[in-house]
Amino acid sequence: MDPSPINSSLGIFPSSWSEKRAGRIPGNIPIWVGILSELTEFGIFFVAYFVAKYHYPDAFSQGPQSLSTITGVANTIVLISSSYFMAKAMANIRKNNLKGCEKFLWLAFFSGCLYLCFKTWEFHWNDVQGFSTNTSPFFTVYYYMTFNHFLHVGWAACAILWVIFRLRKGAYSAENNTGMEALAVYWHMIDLMWILIFPLLYVLR
Amino acid sequence: MTMFSKLEYLWLTLLAIVLFNTLLGENVESTALVSILVALTVMYKGLIVIDHFMELKDANKYLRRMMRIYFIFFPSLIILSAFF
Repeated sequence: MDPSPINSSLGIFPSSWSEKRAGRIPGNIPIWVGILSELTEFGIFFVAYFVAKYHYPDAFSQGPQSLSTITGVANTIVLISSSYFMAKAMANIRKNNLKGCEKFLWLAFFSGCLYLCFKTWEFHWNDVQGFSTNTSPFFTVYYYMTFNHFLHVGWAACAILWVIFRLRKGAYSAENNTGMEALAVYWHMIDLMWILIFPLLYVLR
Repeated sequence: MTMFSKLEYLWLTLLAIVLFNTLLGENVESTALVSILVALTVMYKGLIVIDHFMELKDANKYLRRMMRIYFIFFPSLIILSAFF
């Protein structure tokens, strides 16, 4: 597809810019604006984590030992697997294998739902143990980061359902799958954030 | 036709790293070395997802550079925090 209409209508790129020279953009430009905004948001959380850890080393040393590590590990495995399923869905749509693509999209969706169930159980378990946002600076950061991430998984899982609906309507094919690819890169971004959150909150003392 | 493609190998590698990091955190006394190992494996995991799952390896070089810098910067803070 010729990118020039986008360039001329938005006028945000220098005239020398060309997709051919800079390389293909997976998905589309709007989803990358969203992704970079989300990365900034999580980046602020990560900086807050390191600042708080510097000031309250004891709370951050004891905090991870209070959490359910097994739930954290299970969620990491589930999210990495969901990213793999999403990559397989993209591989299938490029071969025009619509059935295979839908199968992997459902697997990614169910992985997302499983993550939400595990996380809900973990929040409940924390509550039973008497942990809340006010327990210590570690738990304040923990709830800010993980609840925010929880919301991202929730609405991205809804987006997977929408993409499955569109796939069934024949909106995607080997030649036209930009919308699905936009969802795929967003989903991978959510996985990437968990890859950083997991060691910060569950592994490092 | 091979049973396992590159994606499957990368998926299994990522899962293995998760288990390795967890074992480190659970069984080894927390030291700077543990933090460095965890940071390096997190960096590696991130770069795999960026290059192969997001498919930025052969895509837009600016996006790829930004994503890679992000995943080098924050794991580097893990290493830095181990010394302060």
